[in-house]
Amino acid sequence: MYVIGKREFMSLFKGVKSLIVIAILLVTSYYSAKFANFLLSGIELSAKEAENIHTVGLLGLLLLLGQLFIAGLSHDTINRETHERTMRFLVTRTSRTSIVLGKFLGIWLFWFICLIISFLIISIFAQKIDIFIFSQIMSLVTYQISFTILLSALIPKPGFTMFLGIVVGLSFPILGLWVVFTSNVWVSWTKYITPFYYLEREDFSFLVIFIVAGIMLFFANFIFKRREC
Amino acid sequence: MIAIETTQLKKSYGTAPIVKGIDLIIEKGEIFGFLGRNGAGKSTFINMLTGIIRPSSGTYSLLGVKGPNDQVKKRIGVMPDYSTLYGSLTAMEHLKYLSALSGKPAGKEWCLEILKLVGLESHVRKKVAKFSFGMKKKLGIALAIIHDPELIFLDEPTSGLDAESAIHIHKLILRLQKSGKTIFMTSHNLAEVEKLCTQIAIMKDGKIAASGTMDELRAFYRSTIKVKIKHSPVPTSEQINLHQWLESAGTDLEMKAPYVTITVIDEKKIAEIIRAFQQCRADVLRVEVEEPSLEDIFLDE
Repeated sequence: MYVIGKREFMSLFKGVKSLIVIAILLVTSYYSAKFANFLLSGIELSAKEAENIHTVGLLGLLLLLGQLFIAGLSHDTINRETHERTMRFLVTRTSRTSIVLGKFLGIWLFWFICLIISFLIISIFAQKIDIFIFSQIMSLVTYQISFTILLSALIPKPGFTMFLGIVVGLSFPILGLWVVFTSNVWVSWTKYITPFYYLEREDFSFLVIFIVAGIMLFFANFIFKRREC
Repeated sequence: MIAIETTQLKKSYGTAPIVKGIDLIIEKGEIFGFLGRNGAGKSTFINMLTGIIRPSSGTYSLLGVKGPNDQVKKRIGVMPDYSTLYGSLTAMEHLKYLSALSGKPAGKEWCLEILKLVGLESHVRKKVAKFSFGMKKKLGIALAIIHDPELIFLDEPTSGLDAESAIHIHKLILRLQKSGKTIFMTSHNLAEVEKLCTQIAIMKDGKIAASGTMDELRAFYRSTIKVKIKHSPVPTSEQINLHQWLESAGTDLEMKAPYVTITVIDEKKIAEIIRAFQQCRADVLRVEVEEPSLEDIFLDE
């Protein structure tokens, strides 16, 4: 698991796509933190909102485009190896659960490092690190990584997960926010399986997101165990 | 000690059966050759044993451990067919990555030794994307043995290799056997199987049609022995008699003086044929007996 995780982690730092995503994260963190005071003077905010103003750019970026970024980088984490048959080298050496967990661990660690750096940049301006918001963001990212791995285990063709990753990445925040605020009884129940409902509440209910992510990862593993390589 | 044991192992895709129930016992230390035409189910059988695909029914055990079992994976080495390697990694990086995954991280020295064994010592730092087909095959074998497994599965290890490389791999396979490893290999190269394997099975339509040592297979198929006889001229008055007698003795009779070629079903018939020539007042000058080669057995099957 750790060997696969390490390789996944290292390979994510290589390539143009990763560098672009890292650059977007860091630039957004830097400028949103730098101009946070300007925002404070322009609009009326509650004390709580004003306190977290430095992280608003990063949080907004990940809420709107996080799924797209993660799917863009890791949509083929499992199906690419199955498609190209390199997976045969892995499944004949270790358990399939180790492969799924290793992939998850590597991707999660990549985003953890990127977000830690982003928060360190923000902390220069804010003079503090907000652990609560960092945890909320990590729960969101964990959810999105699990969802991406589930898609990659479910769909055998990497080309299709790329397409689906873009579609879902763009529609996910719109639909996610809609189901949180809609009164339509037929769809409003789905808010409990999206992260937005739990993130909107300013308490520790965001921890439920980790559980939902765990369930998705369980299903990804369940499907992958039945998949032929 | 038994290395591989399967009981009624089956695999179907939808309603199409690919492997139709295989019972097999392979002792430790053997080089087991698995033969069969394309589509006979050889690779499907290997893939079931190595965890690449799940059997539809039946049971199997590797090294005494009932499968599928993730723990036994550390004790087996697999060179799957049609595998793509990681193009962005070098041979050395492949060995380090996959040996670590097998739970026995290989050091630089050991990796170099293995690369030397397969004849890739001069391509240690080269990206695999730039490897030829034959070099990828050799690296595939290196990856199968890097973690010093007890049981090694090689799916067509020498197909696509030049003669020199193939001989090099044959020597390596024999060396692995001498060091106590069990090798299960598939091949289309009948001469290779005949030369290397201590046990052979021929697969046809998803079933094992014949199995045993080369001698056992020959004995089993000895019922079709091709005999070529060189004889002195047969008197004209005896020619019809001899022809009639030979026709009743075997099949595929060909009479082109001074040779007679005939296929008999029992080796006792050879002595009778010689006596028939003598009774027809012709001398038998030379007898050539062609025993069935693995190729004959394979083609018969």
